[in-house]
Amino acid sequence: MIELKQVTKTYGKKQNAFTALDNVSFTIPDGASVAILGKSGSGKSTLMHAMSGLDRPETGEVIIDGEDILKLKTKQIDKFRAHKIGFIFQSFFVQANEMVSDNVSLPLEIAGVARGARKKKIMAALESVDLLEKIGSKAKNLSGGQKQRLAVARAIVNTPQIIFADEPTGNLDSVTGAKVEDMLFGYNKKNGVTLIIVTHDPDLAAKCDMQINIKDGKVESIRDLKKAPQNSPTKTRIKVGM
Amino acid sequence: MKITDTVRRAGRSLRNAKARTLLTSLAIAVGAFTLTLSLAAGEGSRQYADKLISSNINEKAVFVVKDKTLVGGGAVGGSGLKEYSPTATQYGGLSIKTLSSKDIARIKNNPKVDNVLPTYLVTAQYITFEGSSKKFTSDVTVYDPSVLSDTAAGTLPALGTQIKDDEVVIPESYLSTIGVKDAKSYIGKSVTLHLVKAAETPSEEKIAQVLATQGTAGLQALAAGETRDVSFRVGAVTKASATSLATSTGIFVSEARASELSDFLTKGTPSYRSYVAATAIVKKDANPEAVKKELQKHGMTARTAKDMQGLLFTIVNLLQGIVIGFGVLALIASVFGIINTQYISVLERTQQIGLMKALGMRGKDVAKLFRYEAAWIGFLGGVLGSGAAWGLGTLLNPWITKQLGLGEGTYLLVFQAIPIILLIVALMLVAVVAGYFPARKAAKLDPIEALRTE
Repeated sequence: MIELKQVTKTYGKKQNAFTALDNVSFTIPDGASVAILGKSGSGKSTLMHAMSGLDRPETGEVIIDGEDILKLKTKQIDKFRAHKIGFIFQSFFVQANEMVSDNVSLPLEIAGVARGARKKKIMAALESVDLLEKIGSKAKNLSGGQKQRLAVARAIVNTPQIIFADEPTGNLDSVTGAKVEDMLFGYNKKNGVTLIIVTHDPDLAAKCDMQINIKDGKVESIRDLKKAPQNSPTKTRIKVGM
Repeated sequence: MKITDTVRRAGRSLRNAKARTLLTSLAIAVGAFTLTLSLAAGEGSRQYADKLISSNINEKAVFVVKDKTLVGGGAVGGSGLKEYSPTATQYGGLSIKTLSSKDIARIKNNPKVDNVLPTYLVTAQYITFEGSSKKFTSDVTVYDPSVLSDTAAGTLPALGTQIKDDEVVIPESYLSTIGVKDAKSYIGKSVTLHLVKAAETPSEEKIAQVLATQGTAGLQALAAGETRDVSFRVGAVTKASATSLATSTGIFVSEARASELSDFLTKGTPSYRSYVAATAIVKKDANPEAVKKELQKHGMTARTAKDMQGLLFTIVNLLQGIVIGFGVLALIASVFGIINTQYISVLERTQQIGLMKALGMRGKDVAKLFRYEAAWIGFLGGVLGSGAAWGLGTLLNPWITKQLGLGEGTYLLVFQAIPIILLIVALMLVAVVAGYFPARKAAKLDPIEALRTE
């Protein structure tokens, strides 16, 4: 379970201060697929960074598995990301000069998985994104869709609890994009992994169990599509102000 | 992150930028090349000096003098004005303190000393060689039985044995001066030393007595001094050797004859039985260094074979130091090359660093990654430079030996594995130090910012 309590993040100082997240609170159940929707500059990326431990909001709590990750030391946060989080980015961030297998191996190496145990995990991850035959290729020789599937394999290889996907299909055409989406949702359903997608694409958001709309750093609305499939918006703004 | 993984990742990113890696490491290679060559040349010269010394100086020998200036710093005789000493002897206006027979006895009585050989001064006015009408001059010294030289003709006694009293040993080079071609034919030929004894300073009574009995002719004879011709036969001719210094200098006579002739020449003068120097041969189980200390307590100055070596090595070390200095300069230049390259590498790979940090890689592991890359560059440069120096040196060694006339089997450049390995390790450390700031920059990158960079 992911629980945010009154999370506020500001950039800059005094007169120039800009509030990227303003008193954000919500709860995401385990295994859910969640879309964080919002226009660019709305604060949705900052929200993702705060939830994944990349960024540290000044106030509030981000409780994951009963532990407030904002209270963790840098070393523990790094460990938390290495073991519990998977990332997928809009521009893939695969290492073009490295082999497909080395790209997938990176999170395992960071997490300190022994060399002998890696091979099997890499194969399994590539198998599930249908890229096993490319294991020995250089990443730069892959197509855009293949690169993003490689990124998915890299995100799932160390069996994370939460996968953050930042505009995962933003750089892909609709056909390849759909394939990547299917893989993400398939993995989410099959393994009960929480999937958090940051997007401004309403079609992609519609496929999720839950939608969190962000506007000007505030939670505008939270829709639970699973419980209320008939598209009835339930404004659940919890606690405004301190 | 495990160290092996970091090292492998570092190696891979260098392989992905082959040209840049190679060029950066070439800068280090220049330094490594110079340093390897200077190490090899230093070692070679030391080995050569060692050979030179061991074939000329008995390691059990201690060279003893009374006058410090003979072996220590300062000009012989020091300043013009010196305190008068009754034991000092004048040599061409130079006043040198000499070892008295008491000093010699003291050395001899040292329980650690096996034998003592004073440096006899046998100054022949001229020397004649059989088969030549010309008169020559040459040093006449005692044959050193502790060193066995190669001979061109004749035979030398076994190591440790003196030559016969009626024999001399002459160097091969003398024969060409005399005009003899075949060394073998000269064995047994005679060599005559023409000695002139310095006139005694006679007392007034003696003058009066001689004048009364022998007249003015007797007085003339008294003032003219005494002459004596001593003949020897040539026992052996020593070969000129690349490492032997002794073979090129002087006519060698036995110790007993040198002592006798020296006594004849100096009798009645203050130099009688006093010697500029002496060589003490230390017993087999004794340490020359201990003997040196004991002799120094008695006002004598002593030098062991090790000290002589030290003197030669000082020169070698100085020359080597200069070359090493140039190598170090080249290395300093390459350090800036590494810093520059690594900074560019950090900038180029901002996204990669951001990704790795986002995936939970620790800052210090990121720094390690860049430090290991620098170490790889240092390793590569070291191997390239040292390898090139080794290869080139090995190729050129025979030629250098021939050009310098070092003698068969002696090489100027001696490559040793351990110093070269240590050098490469040191270069890797230098590279790591150079990579410190770029690595720190990489470690401090904010992953969010880094991932935003396009």
